[in-house]
Amino acid sequence: MLDIRRISTNRWWHKRRNWIFFVIFLFLFFVRISKGSIFKDCYYFISRPFWPGQFQKEVLLKSIDQETLVNLNLLKKDNLRLRKILSLQESSNNNISASVISRKTGSWWRQLILNKGSKDGVEISNIVIGPGGLLGRVNNTSLFTSSVTLLTSPESKVGVWVDRIQINGLLVGVGDDYPSLIIYSKDADIKVGDIVSSSPASTLLPPNIPIGIVQSIGEPIKAKKTAKISLFAKPHAIDWVQILQVKTQ
Amino acid sequence: MNKFSKKGLSMAIFIFVPIIFLWHPSWLGFLGVQPYWPLFWLLPWSMIHGSVNGLIYGLFLGLILDSLTLDSNFTQIPGLILCGILFGRVKLHSDSLVGHFRYGLICSSGSFLCGAIYFSQILFKNFSDSNFLLFIPSVQNILSEVFLTGFFAPLICSQLLRIFKSIDRKV
Repeated sequence: MLDIRRISTNRWWHKRRNWIFFVIFLFLFFVRISKGSIFKDCYYFISRPFWPGQFQKEVLLKSIDQETLVNLNLLKKDNLRLRKILSLQESSNNNISASVISRKTGSWWRQLILNKGSKDGVEISNIVIGPGGLLGRVNNTSLFTSSVTLLTSPESKVGVWVDRIQINGLLVGVGDDYPSLIIYSKDADIKVGDIVSSSPASTLLPPNIPIGIVQSIGEPIKAKKTAKISLFAKPHAIDWVQILQVKTQ
Repeated sequence: MNKFSKKGLSMAIFIFVPIIFLWHPSWLGFLGVQPYWPLFWLLPWSMIHGSVNGLIYGLFLGLILDSLTLDSNFTQIPGLILCGILFGRVKLHSDSLVGHFRYGLICSSGSFLCGAIYFSQILFKNFSDSNFLLFIPSVQNILSEVFLTGFFAPLICSQLLRIFKSIDRKV
């Protein structure tokens, strides 16, 4: 009887050390099965600060930024000169910064109310841009506030330009977050990813303000092609905007 | 003086409707859409004061909300007037639980009516350009609004009805 009890207490699973070994074995087995992915991932995070080329990448990006900036300034000057020659509408530099004090970005009523009004020089049909591009046009001003019709509002209709295929279109707000682009040509080769900006031919908007990107293309209706546009500027997240005072021709 | 202050509370809540309409608290929204706030005030008010009063205050609310929104081509007045008249014909129910659910259902129907009238105006305006088909997907605005209005109505309308009733008794 005593012998039996002694043997049973000496079984291998009664020893803690054996269990530790077993767990380590299981862990290593898992590492083997996963082909060392845990080790690799750990190494990724540990070695990240010491990677070669991180500093080099920053230097290169800075140089590219500088080059782009210089190019942009040169192109702006060139653009102004050509516009003067062609006597087209000029982009204005009279900007007013304003903050959003009320926003309605859902349902049918899509508008922003800004904290700058007629006393600050805001006028009806001024252009409102935010981080990303065009947001809409000032539709109403009071002494201290101005109301902006967003591009997504069913009231909004603006002329736009699709640069890749060099064609004008009409951007119509339809009461959802993605306004519709109407191109009055059945054969227009519009593609998903095309950039849409304000039209150089428009008398309402200054030219070349980025607006959005083609998200999907609809079926042609009566010699018209339609597309849904995803806007660059997100009115539901913007707190500060710029009001551009447009010189109308 | 007391009478005026009691009436003043109803009017203060009335004035709060356009404020919350402008405020547009996004955390209460669904798919970016808000409940149709004016109905929460109009339903209890019309239930207590009748169809004619509902019509008048529906018109007032419509005028205020139209002045706050920029859409000069479309109006909320017909929908709110109709709702004011219809809500005035709704009888108060003795069973409070049934009453609560009724508020949700009635406000949802009202919201659908207002949304459909507004949407039909948009379609009608764009009918000549044959662009009206582009507006069909925005029906989701009506559906979201109906859902949210019906969801919040039992809570808000029952409280407002209680307040209006108590004011009415005291005055």
